[in-house]
Amino acid sequence: MSGGGTGRAGGGAGVTPELPGAGDPKRIRTLIVDDEPLARSLLREYLAAHPDIEIVAECANGFEAVKAVAEHEPDLLFLDIQMPKLTGFEVVDLLERDVAVVFVTAYDEHALKAFDVHAIDYVLKPLEPARLARTLEHVRRLIGVPGTNARYREVAAASLPETKRPDRILIRDQAKVHVVPVEQVDYLEALDDYVCVHAGGVKHLKQQTLAELERLLDPERFVRIHRSYLLNVERLARIEPFGKDSRVAVLKSGAELPVSRAGYQRLAKLM
Amino acid sequence: MHPVFSQHGRLHIYLAAWIPVAALLAGLLAASQARTGVEAVALGLPLAMNAAFFSLALWPLCKAMPLRGDRAVTLAITHLVAALLTSSVWLLFGAGWAGALEYGARVTGAFARFRADVPLLLVVGSLLFILSSTVNYLILAFEATREAERAALELKIHARDAELRALRAQLNPHFLFNSLNAIGALAGSDAAGARRMCSLLSEFLRRTLVRGAERELPLAEEVDLADAYLGIEEVRFGDRLRVEHDVETSALDCRVPSLLLQPLVENAIAHGIAAVVEGGVIHIRARERGGRLEIEIDNPFDAEAPRRPGHGVGLGNVRERLAARHPGQSRVEARSNGDRYQVTLSLPAVRA
Repeated sequence: MSGGGTGRAGGGAGVTPELPGAGDPKRIRTLIVDDEPLARSLLREYLAAHPDIEIVAECANGFEAVKAVAEHEPDLLFLDIQMPKLTGFEVVDLLERDVAVVFVTAYDEHALKAFDVHAIDYVLKPLEPARLARTLEHVRRLIGVPGTNARYREVAAASLPETKRPDRILIRDQAKVHVVPVEQVDYLEALDDYVCVHAGGVKHLKQQTLAELERLLDPERFVRIHRSYLLNVERLARIEPFGKDSRVAVLKSGAELPVSRAGYQRLAKLM
Repeated sequence: MHPVFSQHGRLHIYLAAWIPVAALLAGLLAASQARTGVEAVALGLPLAMNAAFFSLALWPLCKAMPLRGDRAVTLAITHLVAALLTSSVWLLFGAGWAGALEYGARVTGAFARFRADVPLLLVVGSLLFILSSTVNYLILAFEATREAERAALELKIHARDAELRALRAQLNPHFLFNSLNAIGALAGSDAAGARRMCSLLSEFLRRTLVRGAERELPLAEEVDLADAYLGIEEVRFGDRLRVEHDVETSALDCRVPSLLLQPLVENAIAHGIAAVVEGGVIHIRARERGGRLEIEIDNPFDAEAPRRPGHGVGLGNVRERLAARHPGQSRVEARSNGDRYQVTLSLPAVRA
């Protein structure tokens, strides 16, 4: 963790910080996530000009960030996008509570487009104090507002290039993160507001709807064979008739999944 | 000039190719008149060698009159006349040689027997010269093909280089903005560090922007460029990046295409260090062995991380540029070995 250094003086060139209402004791618990130590210290320095911002921790990668969010329950996240292990978007995908986020990026064509479309707060590197102050002014209104989480997830999905599909599924388990490469997934099962990810005999619960995941994943690989099942077609061994008028998919692992009439048509189209 | 003169040793091969013709000619001469074997060879061999040189004289004519369908008649007549004329001169030489055999070497009747063979030799000579014109045209066609291939290759190299220059001109914005951000951070706490970073960045920009225009330069300059770049990244990544060199002095003055290492070094950062939490060491090695320059860059990487976009572009670019410059003589290999990723280049060691 870097010391922040020069304190208030860091506000620099004539910036008037947006002070909260006089005597307002409300502090914004803030987490800085960036893999470059210098980038963190610059942000800390500029944030020192805003007395309501309280930096509770700094993280150098996505895993640390997920853990720190659970531990410190911050109100606000400054989140770099390009980081080792987990990108900023993957971190957002794993957040299970509403936290306001300001994305920090040097340059990311797709992401910037998505931010503008979805009116998401971001600052560019090199950081600029006046721009940072304006962003803070806006983001203060989002603190504690429910539903921010869903918006960030949406923008995270939108900022992937169109041709690029996620190649792994991330599942949060308390402060731990499981990374499941999509090619290891056998099938996904809908369970109310959760999705159960079945991969090589191991099950993980992820807080997301099956429809959302279906939209993200490669339709050439994952087929909705039933209202509740999304199948990795590479795991399919055969389809057997089941009773009158219905079918069952037998996987290479021996597992059997129901196939609806519409699901069978989708499978047939792909094969 | 005829291509047999253009390369050392070709003339011998060309003349050797005429030995069977000489044998045939001698056989023909022995069969047509009552000559001894010795006389037939003594006449046939010089005639054949002479024809070999006369054939070369037809080369400029073939070059001046390229084969074209719409001029087939003119071509046929020209070559027939040329063959007859060449044959006649050739026969004059033959007559002189036969005379020399008769009066100089005392081969009785040699000249008379030659005279009797003049019509036959005129036909044989014309056929020979028409045949050599045909061979000339074959060589011309072959040369044209090779020239076209060479031009195509040249074009490819130019296209690659142009593409590279375009790539450099649009510089990696991610790198540039992050570096500026780091300079901003240093300016508050470490003024000397900020200045040093400015110098490194200027050095890097100057070298890349100017460098784009040059086609080849000594490896030493490529290594300097990589140093400037990695110097900046060392400041950005702090403890996460260390660079180690092992470049032999003899390799430093080998000439390489400009910006050969840069895409590889950038990959080592973007797909390597930047994706590994604890970072690590980037090794750059270069040496010259048996007339070949071998360069190796290896870096830590996270085998489990998803590939970032752009993976393979830089490597493909390096591979194609080397292949275009040294067809069939360069090798670019990339392999991952546990948690390290290694790229090896091997190319002919060329010095200015």
